[in-house]
Amino acid sequence: MPHNVAIVGGGLTEWGERDATWKDLAQEAGKATFNDVDGIEPEDVEGLFVGAVQPERFAFQSHVAPLVAELLGVEVNKMIARTELACASGQAALRYAWLAIAAGQLDVALVLGVEKMNIDREHMPEMQSNMTNVLDREFDGVNGLNGPSHFAQFAQRHMHEHGTTDEQLAMVSAKNKNHAAETDFAQYRKHVDVDDVLDSYPIAPPLRLLDCSGITDGAAGVLLVSEEKAEELDAETTAYVTGSGQSCMASNSINNLPSMTTWPQAGEASREAYEQAGIEDPLTDIDVAEVHDCFSISEIIEYEQLGFADEGEGGQFIEDGRSHLDGDVAVNPRGGLLGCGHPLGATGVCQALEVYRQFAGDVPNARQVPGDPETGLIHNLSGSGSVHSVMTLARDPQ
Amino acid sequence: MTENDQSEKNGIVEADGGQLSTDGGERADPPRDSVSIPDEIELPRLLDFYELQDPEHTQIHEFYDNLREGSFTTTECPDCGAVHFPPRIVCPECHSDDLHYTDLPHEGQLHSFTEVRGTAAIGMTDDPPFVVGVVDLGPIRLSARIDDAAYDDLEIGDPVGLKIMEIEGPADHERVFYRFEPV
Ligand SMILES: [Zn+2]
Repeated sequence: MPHNVAIVGGGLTEWGERDATWKDLAQEAGKATFNDVDGIEPEDVEGLFVGAVQPERFAFQSHVAPLVAELLGVEVNKMIARTELACASGQAALRYAWLAIAAGQLDVALVLGVEKMNIDREHMPEMQSNMTNVLDREFDGVNGLNGPSHFAQFAQRHMHEHGTTDEQLAMVSAKNKNHAAETDFAQYRKHVDVDDVLDSYPIAPPLRLLDCSGITDGAAGVLLVSEEKAEELDAETTAYVTGSGQSCMASNSINNLPSMTTWPQAGEASREAYEQAGIEDPLTDIDVAEVHDCFSISEIIEYEQLGFADEGEGGQFIEDGRSHLDGDVAVNPRGGLLGCGHPLGATGVCQALEVYRQFAGDVPNARQVPGDPETGLIHNLSGSGSVHSVMTLARDPQ
Repeated sequence: MTENDQSEKNGIVEADGGQLSTDGGERADPPRDSVSIPDEIELPRLLDFYELQDPEHTQIHEFYDNLREGSFTTTECPDCGAVHFPPRIVCPECHSDDLHYTDLPHEGQLHSFTEVRGTAAIGMTDDPPFVVGVVDLGPIRLSARIDDAAYDDLEIGDPVGLKIMEIEGPADHERVFYRFEPV
């Protein structure tokens, strides 16, 4: 790429069941983002990319990128778009911003991910309908197949084919939720142990309630700039995008998925990103990984596909503590989706912000990755797991 | 029907009282008009998970016609031999649009399954707990509801057979859908 691109800061809202509208969340995160970065004001923003999955359904609002421009007083003179790629919408927005700056089309971009999902408990069927139509509504959603019941079947097959255990699934949840207990914006801030997870209600067996991420209101923003702009800002901490890969199989459905234990697209997307970043061994070359643990089983399959563990060995990888803060690669130090919740469009943006903050040493000690982390990764899956997005980040430009 | 009823029907209700006091005396709060929102609305067509199945609404109506007649079919591409599921109007492998319908087995095996025990989507709220699974029919694998079964009674590999459901609800044609059940 002709131009290096760096994240120079960001901010976010509190995540959870918020007494706030979609527009409130966008404003809170936008204000926090500009507050965090010295030297960039709304009038400096040339590109605006808004990750948002279902504002039409949850907030009865479309055309949301210009709405964000209005709310934050951003006159966008180069490029504006909303990105929708289900649970990977935030990373899709980051990727658009990165490409636009790398191509020399602009120097400063605001990426904001926003999702309002809680619409009062009495409307839970509406919320479930929204999630159910992420797959093929006519042939999957119609069967009542939602997030937990979809990923439960991956867990069941992984256990069946590889001997992965309930305890190993629970270890992922316990690790991430304990990290989230130290994260001030997280939806779930309670310490839990493996037994707590195993004792929770099997909402979609073999998955239990604590194997699942939440239904979350939240927003997060970051500012991306060209290397020249970063130097001009004299930014104290930078997180340079060193690689970005995406892969999507010709499928959006559970019908005819070739495998329900692997996600080859995660492997392809990560290899693409690693090659761009010059990463040969992800286990030694990546210090901090923010991966898409929408369910505990997801993180186990991701260990395997992202090159941390051999196929089928993801369960053993967590059992051996290799994804802990002091392990071979620190996975989900902010608490992941399991701990922070999963406001769909905001998740990828928040993952990138977490990597930036880890580089800056700007997180509580209890969840700071030891040894001065310099390289990071964010990963999102979307839909049936047919699409995977991976971005690598480094404190210094390549 | 009174005038007021008519207004309510139109969604606008005029408050009693009418006019702002203009006599210079004690000033009453101005009367407010109100807008009435219905407590419930009929299930809108777009929140109905079942597709409209007749030739006026879908080009894969033959799939539904066959199902209504009792046979489970899908499209096959004579040009490249691909068997698709769900049925298509264009072959995703070679983009031929000259597809024909072929019979699928009515029995298969459970590849995976779980049970929905939480809140379900609109139109399914009374259904939980219910089993959903992936059924291996041989030529294809598909997701489906598994009726007359509980999670704890099932195992991977269990044989299941086709069951055709009639869909009751607001459509002007008879609609059907497939599920499976243990055999
Ligand atoms: Zn063909």
